[in-house]
Amino acid sequence: MTQALRTLPATRAKDTRPKLRIFEFKSDIPASWRLTLGVAVWILFFAIWQIAAWSGVMPAILLPGPGKVLTALYTLFAENGFLGDVMVSVWRVMFSFALACAVAVPLGILMGAFKSVEAFFSPFVSAWRYLPAPSFIPLLLMWFGAGDAQKLALLFIGVIWFLITLIADHTKAVPKDLINTSVTLGGSRWQVLRTVVVPAALPNIVIAMRQMLAVSWTYLVIAEITAADAGIGAMMMRAKRFLHVDQIMAGILVIGLLGLIFDYLLRALHRRAFQYLDEYS
Amino acid sequence: MQSSTILSVQNVCKTFPTRGGGVEALRDVSFSVARNELCVLLGPSGCGKSTLLNIVAGLHTPTSGTLSLEGRPIHGPARERGMVFQSYTSFPWLTVLENVEYGVKLNGIPKAERRERALHYIGLVHLTKFRDSYPKTLSGGMKQRVAIARTLANAPEILLMDEPYGALDAETRWHMQEMLLDIMRTTQTTILLVTHDIQEAIFLADRIVFLSAHPGRLKTILELDFKKGKEIRSKEDLVELSGYPECEREIMQLMRGEAKQEEDA
Ligand SMILES: Nc1ncnc2c1ncn2[C@@H]1O[C@H](COP(=O)(O)OP(=O)(O)O)[C@@H](O)[C@H]1O
Ligand SMILES: [Mg+2]
Repeated sequence: MTQALRTLPATRAKDTRPKLRIFEFKSDIPASWRLTLGVAVWILFFAIWQIAAWSGVMPAILLPGPGKVLTALYTLFAENGFLGDVMVSVWRVMFSFALACAVAVPLGILMGAFKSVEAFFSPFVSAWRYLPAPSFIPLLLMWFGAGDAQKLALLFIGVIWFLITLIADHTKAVPKDLINTSVTLGGSRWQVLRTVVVPAALPNIVIAMRQMLAVSWTYLVIAEITAADAGIGAMMMRAKRFLHVDQIMAGILVIGLLGLIFDYLLRALHRRAFQYLDEYS
Repeated sequence: MQSSTILSVQNVCKTFPTRGGGVEALRDVSFSVARNELCVLLGPSGCGKSTLLNIVAGLHTPTSGTLSLEGRPIHGPARERGMVFQSYTSFPWLTVLENVEYGVKLNGIPKAERRERALHYIGLVHLTKFRDSYPKTLSGGMKQRVAIARTLANAPEILLMDEPYGALDAETRWHMQEMLLDIMRTTQTTILLVTHDIQEAIFLADRIVFLSAHPGRLKTILELDFKKGKEIRSKEDLVELSGYPECEREIMQLMRGEAKQEEDA
């Protein structure tokens, strides 16, 4: 060894263990805290609701407490055949959403992959996106009546345009180098599409579906309230006629729960199907 | 031209069309690469190295000029010209083995042979232990090794590499460079590699094609005579070689000359 390098004695480092603090930018909190805080917000909500109901700021018939709503929920399922309404609603969302995906997934992928396809469809899709779906309700009622067809059509046009746009954007975001890797390995256009573009975009496509499924639930309620025949929204409109506020609230509760369950299922599916992603390590 | 020429690039010009009349990236570049040679394209950032390599790969078309591989004109990308990119291009949804098999599968090689070839090249880049891992569990250097094995398994006639180690930390980069020389020796591959790192160029190259900046023109071709016939396996071997400091100084001056012209312009 030459004398060009000189070593210095090591100095002892100061004790810099981090303290646990409640408010710290972006730093993680223990899992037990997260759970406790998450439960606490709901306890607080129900407590305020119950106190408001007891206080009599509104007549009891307009603002029933949480207990009454839960009782109404039980009665609905046990005596009023509410399960049938729920199944109708779930079926409408699922069926219309499957139809929308059957169109949007292939079209979105092709638009994202090929500029020519995008140039053809994009002006059309963008224009429709700015038309609020509920503005079609009067028209759909006249065309299809108040039955299933009107609701399926509303749900379909409520999500399809955004779904296409989101999927096209996610497809466009597939890194060029991944595509060129396949191309320089000898991949044909079809092979590149099938073995690179689709698998690379798929995780984000499923996320787009999850987001739009939530929107689909919103339109479902609108459709069922405006032309009540069957379904959760129809039950709520029947309850309104008889001033059954507890039943209306029970309906809201069920819609919220269903939305939550679907979101959870799609999240679980995503985690299962795409374990290879960085975010699941 | 020598008989051992495998790639020939003649009078290549490239102007990218833009709204303001176009960006001239390459002007009249000619050079050739010999069989089993490691040729380095060196030059300051933005001088058109990637553009030139992409033209050789067939990903861009030249505005004018001709290119040929083994005497056959180059039109579009093909299996015979494999490419390794600077960004990590391992497909995250495939395991290491599936990644390396990917190109071979595209080309319809039967399963048994495909598997055997993939395993051979995975061994060559020392990833046998990780054959069933997904890329998310690999380091940057390992991902680049997957990319190299995948390209080699596809049996290209020339391997094109665009700053393949640019995103790696210094120590990993040394290691990868040494491994590349090892692979060259055992597989008899021809490589055209782009870099802007002078040390990397000197360490790897049999010959350096130096491009000048804006637009990219051929400045000079450097034969690294001081390395001829020497067994260089590590960076230390290189640094101890007589002639190395002079070579490095000369290339540094070339680079600085380019930088100065940039400032003056
Ligand atoms: N697609 C493109 N469109 C317009 N200009 C480009 C394009 N690609 C590269 N260029 C320009 O060409 C020049 C050379 O770029 P590049 O080949 O990436 O350089 P290097 O790889 O040597 O850093 C740069 O000035 C760059 O801005
Ligand atoms: Mg470059």
